[in-house]
Amino acid sequence: MGRSSSSGEGRQAPRGVSTLIGILGLSKSRTRSAATSRALPSLQPRESWSRRGNLSDVMVDSDVQRVQVKENIKFTPSLSEQRHKFVLDFVRKHKPQKVADLGCANCKLLWRLKYHESIEVLAGLDIDENILTRNIYRLHTGAGDYLDPRERPLTITLYHGSVVEKDPCLLGFDLITCIELIEHLEAKELAQFPEVLFGFFSPTTVIISTPNFEFNPLFSGKTLFRHPDHKFEWDRTQFQSWASEAARNYGYSVEFTGLGEPPPGAEAVGFCTQIGIFMKNKPNIQPLHNEKTIECTHTTVGTVIYPSLKEEKYLRKAVSNEVFSQILKMKRVLLESLKMKNDSDSGDELEFVKPKYNESKNDPFEETPKPFCIENVFYVPLERLFSFPKIKHLCGDLETLKMLIADEVTLSSDGSSVMINIVDEEDCDLSDNDGDDL
Amino acid sequence: MAGRARVKARGLCRSQEPSPLDPPLAASGNHPTMRENEASVSTNLLETVKEGISAGDWNACTLTQRGGKTWNNFLELGIHTREKLAHVKDCKTGSSGAPVKLVTNLFNVGLPRGWQLFQYHVTFNPELASKRLRIALLYNHNKFLKKAKVFDGAMLFLSEKLEEKVTKLSSETQKGTYVAITVTLISELPSSSPVCIQFFNIIFKKILRKLSMYQIGRNFYSPSDPVEIPQHKLSLWPGFAISVAQFENKLMFTANVTHKVLRNETVLDFMSGLYNRKDKSHFLETCEKELLGCIILTRYNNRTYRIDDIDWTVKPTDTFQKRDGTKITYSDYYKQQYDITLTDLNQPMLVSRLKNKQIDSGEVRIAHLVPELCFLTGLSKKVTSDFRLMKDLATETHLNPTRRQQRLSRLADNIQRNTEARFELETWGLQFGCQMSLTGRVVPSEKLLMQDTTCQPMSAADWSRDMRNCKLLEARPLNDWIIVCSHRNEDAAQCLLSCLRRVSSPMGFHMEKPKIIKVQENTAAFIRAIQQHVNPDTQLVMCVLPSNQKDCYDSIKKFLSLDRPIPSQCVLARTLNRHGMMMSIATKIAMQVVCKLGGELWAVEIPLKSLMVVGIDVSKQTCTKGYSAVGFVASSNSRITRWFSRCILQNTKTDIADCLKVCMKGALNKWYRYNHCFPTRIIVYRDGVGDGMLQTIVDYEVPQLLSSLRDPNSNYSPKVSVIVVRKTCIPRFFTEMNRTLQNPPLGTVIDSEATRPEWYDFYLISQSTHQGTVTPTYYNVIYDDNGLKPDHMQRLTYKLCHLYYNWPGLIKIPAPCQYAHKLTFLVGQSIHREPRMELADSLFYL
Repeated sequence: MGRSSSSGEGRQAPRGVSTLIGILGLSKSRTRSAATSRALPSLQPRESWSRRGNLSDVMVDSDVQRVQVKENIKFTPSLSEQRHKFVLDFVRKHKPQKVADLGCANCKLLWRLKYHESIEVLAGLDIDENILTRNIYRLHTGAGDYLDPRERPLTITLYHGSVVEKDPCLLGFDLITCIELIEHLEAKELAQFPEVLFGFFSPTTVIISTPNFEFNPLFSGKTLFRHPDHKFEWDRTQFQSWASEAARNYGYSVEFTGLGEPPPGAEAVGFCTQIGIFMKNKPNIQPLHNEKTIECTHTTVGTVIYPSLKEEKYLRKAVSNEVFSQILKMKRVLLESLKMKNDSDSGDELEFVKPKYNESKNDPFEETPKPFCIENVFYVPLERLFSFPKIKHLCGDLETLKMLIADEVTLSSDGSSVMINIVDEEDCDLSDNDGDDL
Repeated sequence: MAGRARVKARGLCRSQEPSPLDPPLAASGNHPTMRENEASVSTNLLETVKEGISAGDWNACTLTQRGGKTWNNFLELGIHTREKLAHVKDCKTGSSGAPVKLVTNLFNVGLPRGWQLFQYHVTFNPELASKRLRIALLYNHNKFLKKAKVFDGAMLFLSEKLEEKVTKLSSETQKGTYVAITVTLISELPSSSPVCIQFFNIIFKKILRKLSMYQIGRNFYSPSDPVEIPQHKLSLWPGFAISVAQFENKLMFTANVTHKVLRNETVLDFMSGLYNRKDKSHFLETCEKELLGCIILTRYNNRTYRIDDIDWTVKPTDTFQKRDGTKITYSDYYKQQYDITLTDLNQPMLVSRLKNKQIDSGEVRIAHLVPELCFLTGLSKKVTSDFRLMKDLATETHLNPTRRQQRLSRLADNIQRNTEARFELETWGLQFGCQMSLTGRVVPSEKLLMQDTTCQPMSAADWSRDMRNCKLLEARPLNDWIIVCSHRNEDAAQCLLSCLRRVSSPMGFHMEKPKIIKVQENTAAFIRAIQQHVNPDTQLVMCVLPSNQKDCYDSIKKFLSLDRPIPSQCVLARTLNRHGMMMSIATKIAMQVVCKLGGELWAVEIPLKSLMVVGIDVSKQTCTKGYSAVGFVASSNSRITRWFSRCILQNTKTDIADCLKVCMKGALNKWYRYNHCFPTRIIVYRDGVGDGMLQTIVDYEVPQLLSSLRDPNSNYSPKVSVIVVRKTCIPRFFTEMNRTLQNPPLGTVIDSEATRPEWYDFYLISQSTHQGTVTPTYYNVIYDDNGLKPDHMQRLTYKLCHLYYNWPGLIKIPAPCQYAHKLTFLVGQSIHREPRMELADSLFYL
């Protein structure tokens, strides 16, 4: 059931004919077809295909008979990449918060998904524990995630288990994706799957993709299915009837689309990958199941928690960094203008200086109080700081700004400005100096 | 620090998953599995197999490590020098001095009696290029399922022996290929074998990863509780450098507190910072000057790259070709791939040349990176020269013994409490024990010999007060000298001169009036003035520099070390503006001048007569690439107060042993000229030894040194000792005083338990720190036919730490090493050529 295998196809497409033939050729030695026919006795009389024997010789259905496929079909970008992109575009449009990928295998879709700000909970489930432990590294946090934390929290959890187990950990999701998953299910599992997915997990949206069997003759391979672990491959009618029934039974509406256009002349076979998008008709008002009463069957392989600005320590850090960098920028401008002044009027003692900024005419900050200088202390009004879009965005209001930076900076006595010394402190302690030319 | 930080950053780069690096490649998917080149591993292993079952001989195999370096280099296992030294074969510990109880950062690692590690070699037929696949196939076998195992793709370690010596297994890949796996026992290793030590290191790395620490290079950090220094845009991650090693008779886990410095600044921030300066004319140049060569960290995938170039013609709105042939703009690519919206569409692109995995293919792969998404890493030279920044950094990174101990106990606690970590230890039968404490000795303090008195300093850390009214050992009068200063600094120079005259007479240093020359504030004017005013009798040139511009200092030093060899003293005008401190500054300068004129400041009692001590340091930080500066400093009198020096620049590829011969000859001739005989004993302190260089020194340098001293045509054959000095080492020692942990007292020697059985080694604490925890200096006597007792060797070393004339106090390494270091620093940073031999007798490089 691990979609690990789907990557096989993903890889073959851009890599050309030889690999594909290699893959398909090798798998010929395995006699999975027996298992397959057992798995799907009722669904498809596929004898018609097997009777034809060598698939490479096969001419496609009557109306596209002129299209004989000699070259293998390649997709650019690869089909697996296109499927990922499809999900990502969907996420970008619908902005789900909780997303799960069933049969997540090498975790590459999860890896792509983790970059999306809208998502706060990501889950992956696979039957192959090994592949999860080997690939969880893709989802780990890195230095960059701490240096520039996400705005919203993100927790990624990988579960080991079967997709037909009713585990409460997958309840309440906004989107569940099953990319190239169902064709790996045994007949019995496939029968249980709609009840578990739509009935129990009952997410707001579901994306299911599976190969379109009608497209297969266009491949020059010699095997029945695209991958040896596939228990079946459906044509459009089969998939659509299965999907429509499931949708009807559990209160969803379904739309069909696909990826991988057939070559000119063979349009009738449809997309290479067929996709069903399921939307729940009535949103969940209250949880269907009480999570606590149901026993967990999945084991957690790993959890990764991302730092985010929702945690105060990271927010504090982000704000004070931004505040300091703005203050230092202003200070530099001030010092430069002082220096120019000094150079021109041969160094008068400065008592009170209001620096002139070379500000453009339509300066958004014009309304806010300007920084000023009294003796050697530079004052930057908090209001001024707050007018910087980034700081405003991070803090929300002035009080929060004050609270967040209070520990990092010195505030003026009335608490309205940040104070900073413009003259560098005594910069060298002699005792630290180990001799040298002084 | 810049260099080290950079190395660390590179370590980070190497430790990353080897997958496609540049955005165009990353676009079409990460399937590194099929492409990894593991050729090096397999060749290594073939040799091993040919040798059959070995008893775990070190050279038989090296596990490949994340991070590239093998542990062989790091721990320098398998070098046995002690067994050749007859007088310390049985006992290398001293006995003099007061015992002191010490706590260490070493933790016992317990093993059951008769513990063994079983090493297997695994072959796959057909051969599989992908290491990931090899691991996956092997681990899928039930035989290995619940067993403690470590497998690097070729070498398998088990804690339990398999039934058969050769086990044959077969597997099927997901693609349906049948693969035959043969697992062959190659050795049964006792816990002390080098392979085992390396293996334990891997286990403990695994454990630290289980504690959700983040590995960068060799060290582990906790990014979740960072220390922020926002005023400098820095983040510090607290962490540990860990290792497992065999100490005197026990296996020990050592942990040292370290910090990773990260910069909260993107390249774009940095660039706009430069751009917003008033002077925009040199923006492009400054930008390239500051940024090229920097290591950057990409925000989205946490990889590191080196900036090789900046392409000002390419913008984020330009397109590039992805690996699958489609074209896309950079900004769209980042939006699609990482959901990142670039804010500045006019920024230039950083160019990084990627390392080629296939070495033979000559094509150069290039990645374009967006400055906005790249964080700067490491500390640039400019940053490290910012005094206040370094001070703020030091307050956070230099932990005192108490805070250090807190962190250590927390780590030990975590290892013992974390269930996963404990499980890992238990499956291998390891036990994480308690922190080791041991007894060190504090050697007696030294008296300073001055001209007509001896003085027992209050504190050996700083005896400037004690010396205040003592006459220096020998100060030659300064009769003919000049001061060069700018017009603006004339007052400062006058003030300095009057202070110098006031402090010099109590020292017994006679100083005539100098000629003061006032010049314009530029380098050329200074040089011209010096050129005009020095004559053959000039003893010293003193320059009051208007600013600490390096080129001015460099030009003066160059001219006065190469063209007209005259000792020189540079003083920054800024230093002279600190009025309250003028007298102490003048005292320091006066003493420095005395040294530069060939005088002697103080001495300590050296019981051995006719002993020459030599310090050698090698510095790679020269401006000319591929060259290193070898500094050689040898004492030329038996009081060990006068020094002969040579500095030789040489290609890093050639062995430094050759030039040692030349230097040694020179030092002996000088000794003969002053003492009319040759020294009977020579003790060489070798500093600047990098990780993994010990073997080379034992095999090449020592024989070369000896051959230059053992001329078969004469009957001169001095006794020689060679001691490798290391300023960095793993152990730390704390002592409990007044119920708090503190640094051990000065003069503490540790020569048991924390030392290594195969070496004649000891730790000596000879420096005090104001801040943080003292790092002991590690001495390893690799050759010794002087036959001194360990006690005497330790005390002599301690005495030599008193003799550095640039600091009135103890220093962390023997004075000759510090002199050699100073010399190589001056040559490497400023002169870039070998200084004239006329100066060889004075400490002109102070």
